[in-house]
Amino acid sequence: MKLFVALIADTFQEARARWLFWGLFALSTLLILIFLFVLQVDVAAGAISFLGVQATSRRIFSIQKFVNVSYSWVSIALYVWGTFLAVFASSGLIPSVLEAGRIALLLSKPLGRTTLLLGRYVGNLAVVSINHTYLVLTVWIILGFKTDIWSPRFLLAIPVSIFLFAVLLCVVVLVGVVSESAALSVMAPVGLSLISLLLAQHQFVIRLLSSEWSRQLWMFFYWILPKVFDLGNAMRQTILFDRSAAWLMPVATSAAFGVVVLVSALHIFQKRDF
Amino acid sequence: MTADFAIETCGLEKIYRSRWRGREIKAVSNLSLRVPAGVKYGLLGANGAGKTTFVKMLLTAVHPTSGSAALFGRDARIAEARRPVGYLPENHRFPTYLTGYGMLDFYAALSGVESRERKKRVPEFLDLVGLKDWGDVRIKKYSKGMLQRLGLAQALLHRPRLLILDEPTDGVDPAGRREIREVLDSLTAKGVTVFINSHLLSEVESFCEYVAILRSGQLAVEGKISNLLTGRGYRVTAADVPEQALVEIRRLGASTLPGTEGVTIQVRTREEANAIIDRIRAAGGEIESVAASTSSLEDLFMQTTRPERAA
Repeated sequence: MKLFVALIADTFQEARARWLFWGLFALSTLLILIFLFVLQVDVAAGAISFLGVQATSRRIFSIQKFVNVSYSWVSIALYVWGTFLAVFASSGLIPSVLEAGRIALLLSKPLGRTTLLLGRYVGNLAVVSINHTYLVLTVWIILGFKTDIWSPRFLLAIPVSIFLFAVLLCVVVLVGVVSESAALSVMAPVGLSLISLLLAQHQFVIRLLSSEWSRQLWMFFYWILPKVFDLGNAMRQTILFDRSAAWLMPVATSAAFGVVVLVSALHIFQKRDF
Repeated sequence: MTADFAIETCGLEKIYRSRWRGREIKAVSNLSLRVPAGVKYGLLGANGAGKTTFVKMLLTAVHPTSGSAALFGRDARIAEARRPVGYLPENHRFPTYLTGYGMLDFYAALSGVESRERKKRVPEFLDLVGLKDWGDVRIKKYSKGMLQRLGLAQALLHRPRLLILDEPTDGVDPAGRREIREVLDSLTAKGVTVFINSHLLSEVESFCEYVAILRSGQLAVEGKISNLLTGRGYRVTAADVPEQALVEIRRLGASTLPGTEGVTIQVRTREEANAIIDRIRAAGGEIESVAASTSSLEDLFMQTTRPERAA
């Protein structure tokens, strides 16, 4: 356990020294400032119009609804912004530890390869989790003070964003272990997320596909890849309407994908010569 | 496999296979070696002889294709077996974002040294390697020699029973080399096994008690240095010596080493030297020089690795 903690602490130190930690923090702060600015510019009508809530003489404007719409859009923005930012920031942390001359020394210590890679994974996840929590919590506090409505459902953006990042980080680790390339470690999860967004439109697309095998192939990839769109959508539905969304399928299949990818990464790491 | 040996390998072999072409390279072949606990042991070999692969197999950075390795009688693949081992790799890349203090603290933590003990030992070991005033400076500001000394402190901090050093004095100035040798001497006095992989033959000869020479991944020579070196003798250098005469000279027990100015022949006694000079003259060869010599580890190394270098 102590070795595991030492590895996590080292990942933190590396993230801090490479300015990844502070970079993430600065970009999150920038987003918060932009959000503050938007609220300041036009709270009464502009923001309402911008966020798609119509206040008419026939329909009584509800501040509660405005806050919910704000929360749902902001949570989606944070979900997308935070996740991609975190993937970019994490890309180099696995290849750096696999550098010849560094990995040989680490492996000479009395720790298993699984501990080494998992320590790095958890450390990376912890760095990003702190940043996500800071970003979402600050926005929540700002909106709360501004509107005097404190909707805890918005805080759901924290675990959902961290969960998605945890799944994508498994891809970063696998690509890092196989290729030792930071660039490829970014491209793979970002590309996978975009494909996942496309696959999520299956209800529309399968009606357009002419053959049965192509429909099945589409659905096969939809099922095995992480559900970036479905998770975001379930989060938005819950925040906006406070009703139970379909969480089980996207969480279970995305988690299964992450576990399989991480186990594959660990297996390859165990077998590799350095 | 017994705990009497710090390192014990049995039929260790490593074959690298290229992924697409299926080509095989045998880096280490059927290597069985026993390093007694508490000795100073040197591992030599030409470039590509398999020294680094052998060391990496001991530390599980490289998986053997076949055979086994043990550290103090325990299977080297078990993480706990590596606890009494201190290692300094040749082309080390320490995390440059750490300070000297932070780096020692991190690696000591990975070696299982408790936090309170680390606070005590880290300054002590920084002082030991002459980096007392550099503890708070980031590693990226260190010179090569300083990195080497820091690496040595890292390998020593958890008080290992076996020290594996890959080119330990690489980039270190002569004064620093002497200091490192003194540190290592003090360790062996305490019963620590020192296993050195080095190209500096004079250093290995003056420091180590045992030596092994690898040739094309195989163990070519192994034993106590005092037994392997022939001691005092004579070195005859001659030109235009026919091959047939060289065969006869070798039959007399002399070793021959071809060079640019002819052939150098090493013999043990004055009588042998005279007999060989007579034989060379009779065969039409020219004597270039005759000198009293001591057979060195360099001679042994050159003789042993000659076929490999020729290839």
